[in-house]
Amino acid sequence: MSTPFVQAVASGSIRSGTSVFYAALGEVIVERAGMVNLGLEGCMLTGACAGFIATAEFGSAYPALIVAALAGGLFNLVFGFLVVTRRANQLASGLTMGLLALGLTALAGNDYVGRKAEGLGHWEIPGLKSIPFAGDVFFQGDLLIFGVVPAAALVWWLLYRTRWGLHLRTVGESRTAAFAAGLNPSRIQYQALFAGGLFGGLGGAHLSLSVAGVWLEGMTSGKGFVAVALVIFASWHPVRALAGALLFGGAVAFQLQLQARGADISPFLLDTLPYLLTLGVLLVWGRRRQFQMPGGLSEVFEGTN
Amino acid sequence: MLTPDSKAAVATRWASLRRLSPPALRGPARFVASLVIALLGFGIIVALQGENPVAAYQDIVDTTLRTKYGLSEVFVRMIPLLLCALAVAIPARVGLVNVGGEGQLYLGAWAASWVALSFGSLDRPVMLAGMFAAAVLGGAAWAAVPAILRARGWLNETISTLLLNYVGILFVQYFVFGPWKDPLSANFPQSKPFPASAVLPALSTYRLHFGLVFGLAGVAILFAVLRYTRWGYEIRAIGGNPEAAHRNGIPVRRYLVVMLLVGGAMAALAGFGEVSAIQGRLRPSVSPGYGFIGFLASWLAGHNPITIVLMTFVLAVLTAGGDSLQINQGLPFASVNLLMALTLFSVLAFRGSNRVAAS
Amino acid sequence: MPVQSPRNPLLILLALVAAMSLALVAVACGDDDSGGGATTLVVGALHVGSVKDNGYNQAMHEGLVDMQKNVKGIKLIEAENVPESADAERVMENMIQQGAKLIFPLSFGYLDPALNVAKKHPDVKFAHPAGFKNADNLATFWSDTTSMAYLTGIAAGKESKSGKLGWVIGFPIPNILTSINAFALGAQSVNPNATVQVIVDNAWVDPAKEAEAVNALVDSGVDVVTMIVDSPATVVQTAEKRGIKSIGFHCLCVKSVAGKGWITGIGFTWGPLFTKYAQDVINGTFKGENTIGSLEKGYAALADWGPNTNADTKKLVEQVKADLIAKKVVIFKGPILDNEGKVRVKEGEVADLGDLLGKTDYLVKGASGKIK
Repeated sequence: MSTPFVQAVASGSIRSGTSVFYAALGEVIVERAGMVNLGLEGCMLTGACAGFIATAEFGSAYPALIVAALAGGLFNLVFGFLVVTRRANQLASGLTMGLLALGLTALAGNDYVGRKAEGLGHWEIPGLKSIPFAGDVFFQGDLLIFGVVPAAALVWWLLYRTRWGLHLRTVGESRTAAFAAGLNPSRIQYQALFAGGLFGGLGGAHLSLSVAGVWLEGMTSGKGFVAVALVIFASWHPVRALAGALLFGGAVAFQLQLQARGADISPFLLDTLPYLLTLGVLLVWGRRRQFQMPGGLSEVFEGTN
Repeated sequence: MLTPDSKAAVATRWASLRRLSPPALRGPARFVASLVIALLGFGIIVALQGENPVAAYQDIVDTTLRTKYGLSEVFVRMIPLLLCALAVAIPARVGLVNVGGEGQLYLGAWAASWVALSFGSLDRPVMLAGMFAAAVLGGAAWAAVPAILRARGWLNETISTLLLNYVGILFVQYFVFGPWKDPLSANFPQSKPFPASAVLPALSTYRLHFGLVFGLAGVAILFAVLRYTRWGYEIRAIGGNPEAAHRNGIPVRRYLVVMLLVGGAMAALAGFGEVSAIQGRLRPSVSPGYGFIGFLASWLAGHNPITIVLMTFVLAVLTAGGDSLQINQGLPFASVNLLMALTLFSVLAFRGSNRVAAS
Repeated sequence: MPVQSPRNPLLILLALVAAMSLALVAVACGDDDSGGGATTLVVGALHVGSVKDNGYNQAMHEGLVDMQKNVKGIKLIEAENVPESADAERVMENMIQQGAKLIFPLSFGYLDPALNVAKKHPDVKFAHPAGFKNADNLATFWSDTTSMAYLTGIAAGKESKSGKLGWVIGFPIPNILTSINAFALGAQSVNPNATVQVIVDNAWVDPAKEAEAVNALVDSGVDVVTMIVDSPATVVQTAEKRGIKSIGFHCLCVKSVAGKGWITGIGFTWGPLFTKYAQDVINGTFKGENTIGSLEKGYAALADWGPNTNADTKKLVEQVKADLIAKKVVIFKGPILDNEGKVRVKEGEVADLGDLLGKTDYLVKGASGKIK
């Protein structure tokens, strides 16, 4: 009883895109506030590790999600100390935080390697699940998979329909202007980092609590960097980040589904596609207004900040 | 919109806020202070793990600085870090941010390997010169894409160099897993071993190799060019204010491209050194992130060539000595990352707001 | 932009304390007992992953612990997660400085570095798994799992409803391909229509990819899956989640994290071999030879049966196991065709084991996958 190929790739993209999606969504908030966190990989690792430890200790993955999210948030606040309070170089600070997380989680998670933890449960929505194609693709999964669309909508609403979002984007355009307008840029940037870290932590938790079901040191294996590229690809927009995550996750699922059915394509060349696509998108649409990066962020990228 | 007046007012308010902070510790003192804090911090973690931090540091010193072998290993680690830091520092002098050292390193390794694997019969000097040239060209070519995109004003180099890292690594893996896979290695992903003529000479009885000369020569040349030549003057002018430099007739675009290409070539030499002197063949993993750590080293050293030597040396001691944390203290291998990260963290926190030192 | 001076150092300390509070989570007890009595031999071991991975590294670690129990006075220094890079050589050198006279570089990628170090230290002995190059002081070992894979293939063939069986492997190296082929032949001996689909991960450790590989196999109709990646835990658990059956590899211990779908598994039992190496070093009789274990000779075994495995599957496997040992069943007896129809073992001939383990570059008829 095999699943039709298109359907298998679609559900595979969702499964493998979910962790990257959450991380990217968090990074959208952070970058909209004028910062870039190259330590996103570390934020995910922290969430993956804290979530797994909490699951093993509590015996349930659901409270552990809260722990994972908070760990990610806390991680980003430490990053915030460097880049907001100390105004240190953001790229260097991000890479440093990545190393820090790699070391800390290796130490903290050491006793949990090889342990079994009851991960996130698999849910099916009765009735809807039996719809051909759509049922299997959209109406089954774990809590975090079901949370993808609401999360994207929530972040979109926060950024574009609330005062806080307006303030956050103002700070992201120019700290000085925001300060002149009576805002407290540092406080808003810390808030953005914390919110972004919550999502980054959840993204990591999806890896250890749903996809892999184990904790291993360094288990994010580059997914945080994929998420950073994805945010650029999505031109700093939460809904486009959703589409991008499916595409990036799809590249992995597509290649493995092809292999499972006996066809073959070099995974290495295929894996370069997301990055090349991102470059292409930037070159083609990068100058259009609705695709432009926040002003504060371009200062970071141009080395003037 | 901000009027010039209100801008000035805001700037003053910012400045007055900042003036509240106590006077800075200066230069080396600050560096030493942050190192001490990091070591203290890591010591606490070691103690929390139930191990003796004093013994841990003793072991790190014993296994690195106290023996000839240990010192040689420190330099083995330092060579790629130094070259990758230069890959960042050189473009930074004209205000460019090169986060692509890792990808450029892989391309250098790939190009050098191509020469070693394709022209096995060459004499040693010709072979090594060929590998050197190929690596330089490979790294420069890889850096040329971001350089041109930037010079034309299409895309800033931070993003493009960052993205091209992953493309570069995957490109090398495609060859190692595919066309270059050694038929005699039982289908394991690695190239054939290089001929003996393709191995860089060692500088001691241990693994310390000729790559150190590349690194130190790079430092010396950069230092001399910046200080004593007209190029150095123009580079400083661009680093200070590219607009003004352009108005004064300095070919800014050309400098941007050339400096990024030279940076790419430096990282590529690190890749050449690793495959030629250390690994002796091309393997899927050429570097455990030297490009990124080099970026950190250069940034923390304010892109100053002499400070970079010091910084990469310290980082090399920490990482080379980190083995002993596991072998003697039973800490996980990755705890060396923690030690390094705490060091970097504390240096970053102490330095705070930073700018390219050229200005 | 104005140059800013550092804020209050107190603040910096505060932040460091915050960073360290993250580390407080890491409070773990370091139990470090090297045992009493005089040390007769210091043994060093390099692992590429964690020794608690329920897989490759744990099996090696359990062998070392066994050795330590069997030979009095062994001091064991283990290093985990050592990258297969310039680092490996330095770790070995450091172990030698600690007095190690026997070193186990326990991953394929440590072979070149180990040969380098072995050349410099003729008095130190090395034992490397699956190496294809020896030296006077560097022995290689592995265990031939061909017969056991044939048996697990029979079990899979009996337990599968769809007749589609799946493998997730790190790299298509000859001894792994031989195991897959034996597995396919075993499955086909009980179900001539059984097929085997192989997915190559191109990594020994990448849990996210392993999970997606199992998902892809299930989506293509596979209902029994097995693997050769460092840690079988993710594959076994994903199979369980998708409601299919699984067969383990590397460590007998993986059964402890498996569920109802567990059939059986193949695990290495390195204890006796590592014990022999240690004794040989102590007695001065160590030789740089190649040792290959097997079903008959030991160093590998079948794991316990799962709770839901059918009784006749168990009975059949036990019977064929006896037949294999008695040489009544020979696995690679011609004619054996590959999946492109080419004759690989001629009618009336039996493939040479050394060739199978060292040179296999094909999959048998009914098995497919990207292995070039």
